[in-house]
Amino acid sequence: MKKNSSSFSGWKSLIVFTVLLLAWVCGFASRLFAVIRFESIIHEFDPWFNYRATAYMVEHGFYNFLNWFDERAWYPLGRIVGGTVYPGLMITSGGIHYVLHLLNIPVHIRDICVFLAPIFSGLTAISTYLLTKELWSVGAGLFAACFIAIVPGYISRSVAGSYDNEGIAIFALQITYYLWVKSVKTGSVFWASMAALSYFYMVSAWGGYVFIINLIPLHVFTLLLMGRYSSRLFTSYTVFCILGLLFSMQIPFVGFQPIRTSEHMAALGVFALLIAVGALKHLQSVLSKAEFKYFFIVASITAAAVVFLSVVLLTYAGFIAPWSGRFYSLWDTGYAKIHIPIIASVSEHQPTTWFSFFFDLHILVTTFPVGLWYCIKHINDERVFVVWYAISAVYFAGVMVRLMLTLTPVVCMLSGIAFSRLFEIFLKDDENPSGPESDSEPESSPTRTLPEKPTRLRKNKHTDQSKDNEGLGSNVRSFVIVGILATLLMFAVHCTWVTSNAYSSPSIVLASYAQDGSRQILDDFREAYYWLSQNTDNDARVMSWWDYGYQIAGMANRTTLVDNNTWNNSHIALVGKAMSSTEPDAYKIMKSLDVDYVLVIFGGVIGYSGDDINKFLWMVRIAEGEHPKDIRESDYFTDRGEFRVDAEGSPTLLNCLMYKLSYYRFGELQLDFRSPPGFDRTRNVVIGNKNFDLTYLEEAYTTEHWLVRIYRVKNENEFNRPRIPVSLRKIKRTDTFISKKTSRRKKGLIKNRPVVIRGKKSVKS
Amino acid sequence: MEYLFTFPFLLLEVPNLRIKRPSWFQQPSAMVTYSLVLLSYFLVTGGIIYDVIIEPPSVGSTTDEHGHSRPVAFMPYRVNGQYIMEGLASSFLFTIGGLGFVILDHTHNPMTPKLNRILLISVGFICIVVSFIACWVFMRMKLPGYLRT
Repeated sequence: MKKNSSSFSGWKSLIVFTVLLLAWVCGFASRLFAVIRFESIIHEFDPWFNYRATAYMVEHGFYNFLNWFDERAWYPLGRIVGGTVYPGLMITSGGIHYVLHLLNIPVHIRDICVFLAPIFSGLTAISTYLLTKELWSVGAGLFAACFIAIVPGYISRSVAGSYDNEGIAIFALQITYYLWVKSVKTGSVFWASMAALSYFYMVSAWGGYVFIINLIPLHVFTLLLMGRYSSRLFTSYTVFCILGLLFSMQIPFVGFQPIRTSEHMAALGVFALLIAVGALKHLQSVLSKAEFKYFFIVASITAAAVVFLSVVLLTYAGFIAPWSGRFYSLWDTGYAKIHIPIIASVSEHQPTTWFSFFFDLHILVTTFPVGLWYCIKHINDERVFVVWYAISAVYFAGVMVRLMLTLTPVVCMLSGIAFSRLFEIFLKDDENPSGPESDSEPESSPTRTLPEKPTRLRKNKHTDQSKDNEGLGSNVRSFVIVGILATLLMFAVHCTWVTSNAYSSPSIVLASYAQDGSRQILDDFREAYYWLSQNTDNDARVMSWWDYGYQIAGMANRTTLVDNNTWNNSHIALVGKAMSSTEPDAYKIMKSLDVDYVLVIFGGVIGYSGDDINKFLWMVRIAEGEHPKDIRESDYFTDRGEFRVDAEGSPTLLNCLMYKLSYYRFGELQLDFRSPPGFDRTRNVVIGNKNFDLTYLEEAYTTEHWLVRIYRVKNENEFNRPRIPVSLRKIKRTDTFISKKTSRRKKGLIKNRPVVIRGKKSVKS
Repeated sequence: MEYLFTFPFLLLEVPNLRIKRPSWFQQPSAMVTYSLVLLSYFLVTGGIIYDVIIEPPSVGSTTDEHGHSRPVAFMPYRVNGQYIMEGLASSFLFTIGGLGFVILDHTHNPMTPKLNRILLISVGFICIVVSFIACWVFMRMKLPGYLRT
């Protein structure tokens, strides 16, 4: 405390730097479980497409990528990849690859893709720090940065190998919010343009940009309602809105949506309102009070009528698209369940249970309302923003498990504020109770380094010794401090445990643990995809459920019918119908779609629960949505309404294509001596239909643990042959000569042979 | 200029109404806002949206080895499933923990006498600890392998 102010601030910035660096390192390191346990590999489903697209872009250049028509997906339709993808992710990793190669560092593009999300998590931590610093104080910012570096809700989408849009989008989200708050605070055109630029990056990276373009107008609107209009607000919002809309229209996939869809109308409406309010404020200074009153009534009524009528008319005329179905399902929560089964079928679109909140956020779930309380109590312009951010994110996270991701940053920020306040109270001398606006003093700063324990404990001892004279006894204080530090310690332990056990599985390589702890790697997926790439024609069409489309395209490089970009519901329904019909019906569909191979995932041998039989009801539901006459969901249940595959299962289920492909020859397999043959370990039953044969397909390949089974679709001339006993077989010959001689007359005969009569000369005729 | 905005009133007569802003309609105080927010937070973290969409039973039941059916409060092993009561119980604990932190903050007020201050601290701290431990136990019920390697 004896130091002069310059070295004081020097120490402060050193501490800030160190903490942020350590948060980055910790966040990076804790995301590497999957790489260390398995290998440097792309995970799951969507990342495979992103990786394939990135590799294509690196190989063929950016403009070819924008014009890329992928004929290997959605056979026979194809997919215009350049126009239907958010290219920010590919450009980011492609740019890193380009720079590294300029520096002669030969890194494979796959490694860049694998490690992109962990690296960006550090940038997210820094942008969270900046945003929280703007909202509260440096100490709260450091806490928030440490929280976001290791919180499971964010790690779940950003482990190494999870090469997905969300990995960079959360960074873009936070930095956009930071720049927005900064521009509201300063009212400078520079910060507002920077916010628009980073909004552009966000639009290019993730569809979640709609969240930003609705939240910021909401913020502005609330400020107007609260009577907090200022010229700073006017400048920043008008600049941000115009530039942001123009920028976002440069992304091919977004196109003219910003001025045509209802999701963006809030931004334009608030823009008009803000201008109106600005004009009124100006007129108020010009006109007299009575004139202004008249003017205000007339202007507001006409403006409201004009805006409302024009929006209604434009929507009616089709210039403004109504809310899209996916967005609509956020408000009317039952919408997806009834109308869009394909959205409801994805498990991450399910509504959230309490468990996910606690699992993903742990102690932060309780401190989040505390931080919110501080923000509401000491409200100002930018804290209105974070309050709305918090409330809307909580609501969205409750609707969809997946949107827990947008909740996590705000939870970290508010918890950072809460913990920082708490430490300020309990670590500080009572003599100068500092307001929340003041920067935290340095003696409590070291305690904000969450992940690194030794520094923190040492500093605490030091600070406890320094003040034991005021108000509360130092015993009580240190008791509370130790308790809270223990809670934070448990938070770190929980995060590491969750990361290691729940979120670090590549899901294309499975690991199972034997009872003695030894590990067994099940590499069936890659085995099957490699088989496909080596043993099938280059243009072979593979039919599978849409979950596996990206993986087949990425690893086996074969044409697929449907994939994870679920843009064409009827095509998916057709595949679902093929899977849920009987073999002859399915054969007609498969022939009409030119299918060569069928791939099914079957987990009954190893007890893998995410297989196609467990997903089967969704195939039926989606098929029923498009073909209600042919497929009925109730046919696949027993009379008592159960879905079961054993002998009591419904006959429709036991004879459909998916059942047959999954359980073909499974009845002959006895897994161990205690269970009967044909015992399905996933569903713990003996299958109902054991002895059947396939007519229209033949087994082509089954992997080691039967996880992936590939069947070849026969040609027409291969199966229309009833088997005839040998004795009844008639062999028709047309081109061979058939002798008419009987066995008695086997002597040869020459036609027109001159007849020789003894004693007579042959007479030439 | 003046004709522009007085023009409609040449045609229309302004009705002699006196609309008062209702007295209850004002910008809500911080505490009211926060209570509303906390209530909605309580409901959302309890999975109320899940309850509305999926409609699970309030408490589950299982059959033990004697054939009696016993109530089960927690749906074990199902991360994406819950019963209504378990969700409400755990979100109640989350809220209690949050209130504990708020109480700890109130000890900061220099006006409170020392005894009250210590009482407040202990109450707040007990709230935090209880909610933390109870959440821990709930996690163990839900996911028996929790925090065991």
